[in-house]
Amino acid sequence: MVENIFINIAGSLRSVLDAAGAPLFINDVILVLVKVVAVLVYVLVSALWLVYMERKVAAFMQARIGPNRVGPMGLLQTAADIGKLISKEIIIPRVSDKIVFLLMPVLIFVPALLVFAVVPFGKDMIAVDLNIGLFYFFSIASVSTIIFWAGGWASNNKYALVGAMRAVSQMISYEIPLVMALLGVVMMVGSLKMSDMVYAQQNVWFVFTQPIAFIVYVIAATSETNRTPFDLLEGESEIVAGPFTEYGGMAYAMWYLSEYANLVLVSAMATTAFLGGWLAPFGWTFIPSWVWFFLKLYLMIYVFMWFRWTYPRLRVDQLMNFGWKVLVPLTLANIFVTGAGMYIYRAIGW
Amino acid sequence: MFGQGLIKGLEITLGELFKKKVTVQYPEQRCVIPPRFHGEFTLDADKCINCGLCANACPNKVIQIESDKADKKRILTKYTMNIQYCLFCGLCVENCNKGAIQFTQKFEMAKYDAAMIPLVLLNKNPEQIAEEKAKILADAAKAAEAKAMAEAAAGAVKPAPKADAPAGGKTDGTEG
Repeated sequence: MVENIFINIAGSLRSVLDAAGAPLFINDVILVLVKVVAVLVYVLVSALWLVYMERKVAAFMQARIGPNRVGPMGLLQTAADIGKLISKEIIIPRVSDKIVFLLMPVLIFVPALLVFAVVPFGKDMIAVDLNIGLFYFFSIASVSTIIFWAGGWASNNKYALVGAMRAVSQMISYEIPLVMALLGVVMMVGSLKMSDMVYAQQNVWFVFTQPIAFIVYVIAATSETNRTPFDLLEGESEIVAGPFTEYGGMAYAMWYLSEYANLVLVSAMATTAFLGGWLAPFGWTFIPSWVWFFLKLYLMIYVFMWFRWTYPRLRVDQLMNFGWKVLVPLTLANIFVTGAGMYIYRAIGW
Repeated sequence: MFGQGLIKGLEITLGELFKKKVTVQYPEQRCVIPPRFHGEFTLDADKCINCGLCANACPNKVIQIESDKADKKRILTKYTMNIQYCLFCGLCVENCNKGAIQFTQKFEMAKYDAAMIPLVLLNKNPEQIAEEKAKILADAAKAAEAKAMAEAAAGAVKPAPKADAPAGGKTDGTEG
């Protein structure tokens, strides 16, 4: 019952539309729209929630209490912050490229929302089960680099431009170990389909068979989302806000919230590829699959927050050295070892 | 082992996550203020002898004392501290022989208006002053009378001094 609650809702919606005499095409379009809106609402609400969660985690790790005044346990704190930011003026520099300048904070959410189409939220709960799901995921997610760059460029400010250049160099460098870490998983699955990837982990999660890939993935994902210890892009305590220097009010808040949408995104990928997706550990299937997915998702998000409030920031050269000289060779070695291992297993007939 | 420090760092932050929080949620919860805290001042007007030592000791000339006089006795009429200049050094408290001016543990001295900042510890209205004066004068008169009577009584035993002799004789007569 609880297991299939969302599938049943979709099914009943479909049958209602059928009864109303809607043609199959219209029926499909409406159903996809409902799914899209559901994902949209989830991602935006979770961005709000994660700002609150981050502040609470930070506070607890620093022996503080954190926001607890606005609403019960401070739950409405982010809503109040956003309300304040909406009411602020967005100052547009006179020499900026106004259209691009205002468009980019909106567009930054587009890749983050698009990739959720292929995320399996639970058993049979995947909006579009593409046969190139993983490829789609990363090709769309990496578009956000261009948006960061365009935002910094359109500001027509040297600090924003330098910040955007740093963003691009960092994100492109870490995209390589990120994707190559998952290549080991893909080799073992033999498919780029997200649902296949989850089913392949029925016996053992890939975090146990691919531990190096998991660690590399987590490190590269931290860098991809521009979070500490790789938050050179923004570097709160050292520099101005990188590519967001000229942004204010809600435009700035959109960049800020997109960081959390991206955090959900990489955590969802880590959950699907390494932590068994919606599969229940120890055969505890009495808890619905989608609950398992969200439990693992928020565990991963917590790990990223844990990193943020533990580690100091790297230098730019350290960041680049680490990415190219440590992570990339490590993933290459991992791919080689995985391939050799698979060949040996096949040879001995497993 | 490589990366040991990273693991240890994570351990520390995770441990901190479950520890008791140190935050004191101020308006509801308050820290324990030590007994010798230098907070707002309080004046025990009954103990004050209007000597002005506190005002003299003050390095910033914060304390302003207004007084009146009745029969050689000084009456404290107004005690004001321009607390915006006060550095809470405590020299006034230290200098007070009678322990009339003291620190309290109150530290919330923010005011809505600049005019409200000076701390008026005592401000007697004219009626009060007049009343007090009258009381002092009456007390003085009574005391003088009592003194005269005591002296007259003493004078009956001893030979009275020359100046006091007629007065002494008169009281002596009424008594007899």
